[in-house]
Amino acid sequence: MATAAPPRGEEEVQWGFIGWLKGQLEGLQAYSLLTGRTFRNVLARPFYGGDTMLQMDSIGVGSLPIVLMTGFFTGAVMALQLSATLAQYGQIQRTGQLVALSIVRELGPVLTGLMVAARNAAGMASELGSMVVTEQVDAMRALGTDPVKKLATPRLLATISMTFSLTIVADLCGLIGGYLYAILALRLDGRQYWYTAMQALGATDMAQGLLKPVVFGIIIATVACYFGMSARGGTRGVGRATTQAVVSASVLIILTDFLLSRVLIGFFGA
Amino acid sequence: MADAPIEIEFDHVSITLGATPVLHGLSLRVRRGETKVLLGESGAGKSVALKLAIGLLRPDQGRVMVLGEPVSEMPEAALYRLRRRIGIVFQESALFDSLTVRDNVAYRLDEEHAMDLEAIDARVRACLAAVELEEVMDKFPAELSGGMQRRVAIARALATEPEIMLFDSPTGGLDPITATNIMEQIIRLRDVNQVTSLLVTHRLQDAAMLACYRWDPAQNALRPADDTSAHTSFLVLHEHQAVFDGSGAELNASTNPYVQHFLQG
Repeated sequence: MATAAPPRGEEEVQWGFIGWLKGQLEGLQAYSLLTGRTFRNVLARPFYGGDTMLQMDSIGVGSLPIVLMTGFFTGAVMALQLSATLAQYGQIQRTGQLVALSIVRELGPVLTGLMVAARNAAGMASELGSMVVTEQVDAMRALGTDPVKKLATPRLLATISMTFSLTIVADLCGLIGGYLYAILALRLDGRQYWYTAMQALGATDMAQGLLKPVVFGIIIATVACYFGMSARGGTRGVGRATTQAVVSASVLIILTDFLLSRVLIGFFGA
Repeated sequence: MADAPIEIEFDHVSITLGATPVLHGLSLRVRRGETKVLLGESGAGKSVALKLAIGLLRPDQGRVMVLGEPVSEMPEAALYRLRRRIGIVFQESALFDSLTVRDNVAYRLDEEHAMDLEAIDARVRACLAAVELEEVMDKFPAELSGGMQRRVAIARALATEPEIMLFDSPTGGLDPITATNIMEQIIRLRDVNQVTSLLVTHRLQDAAMLACYRWDPAQNALRPADDTSAHTSFLVLHEHQAVFDGSGAELNASTNPYVQHFLQG
């Protein structure tokens, strides 16, 4: 028995969705291939040590002021908010403990990741995108250089190492921000703040707090390089690639933070 | 020239980019020391043919052989080695904007680590001198005019003394004096260095200059040439296919309506 053909509009919507899904899957495949090649090149000659150092300077030193400020004021605001709640239970002396745990486990890595993503994913995607649309990447290939090895791998190594280092700096600044608020505004004993903070932090908290920036560094570099190297359509395409890189890296950082926290808590315990 | 080995060969090459067919069944041969000029309107697939020759694009059908290597079938890693024997000048120069002129020209030499710094600097100076641009060595590409950028791009392509040169509209958008200057360099490469070239252009003046002049090393100047001594042949692309392939005299005598229309402007 013949079935009635679907209305033309409905068919177009269906094919439009399939086309969109196919595009997303192809994008995911291209991203995975680029990430694989970027990692494989870490151990392959030639090594671009100079390019890696330049990127480390740009990402690490360049991001230091915003990471210092973000870490410091996050620590201070955590002390402000938590002390108000703790005061209701007569536990205000535990402010250092809660500030330390929240900063080292969560806020330090996540906020550093987001700051590095906002500043450097945009920079990387726009730089690589501009190189693609002005045929500089094609010229590099034509001159016998693998652009993934020359452009993506140094950025990956630099982003991982700098996100890791900046997270440690952000954690320290957060603890100092909380400490200054605790002694200046809450009139708490400074030694007690540091004692409770250090007592609260165990090896598993440190491991959680230092594993996350490594994963976030990988996300920032690979997402930025993927969108940068896929840029098409002149300056508008570069702008679009830059926006997509920042948005995708930021969303992936928050999503991965949740998944990693769940896995690590399951592994190490709360 | 007729018995010289074939260095570039396209065998029924077709390619579609996105949903658009760009080349259909293109076949061509370029012998050692010969310059093949690709003519045709914008969008005919001339630049794509150059990118196929150096392996930046792969054909959907057909085969591309360069210097005896199957470019269309080689893995990317093997292509990087082959590309060191080929120089390319892109339509928009494609100089690295964050590097100085010196670093652009020395790029491949720096990457290969096969020469010491002094030797690299000497080679860079020689290549820039060949395009009469020694004085801009420490400038960045953005500080140069379009014509100067094009000449730096030629110097960069020449730095490793390639066996094959690919030129994508080397005179496009340039003033007549600069364009003539660049064409002189290309003729000198053809006649003095016996470099095999594939040259894309839609400027008939460039084609005529290649067909009608040769470089006289004794006089260090251009001299009129006949059809055989110019070592130049022509291929005209129309609607993604070759509609003419032959010498300059055959091009002028062609009865193909599109070729006639193209030549008459």
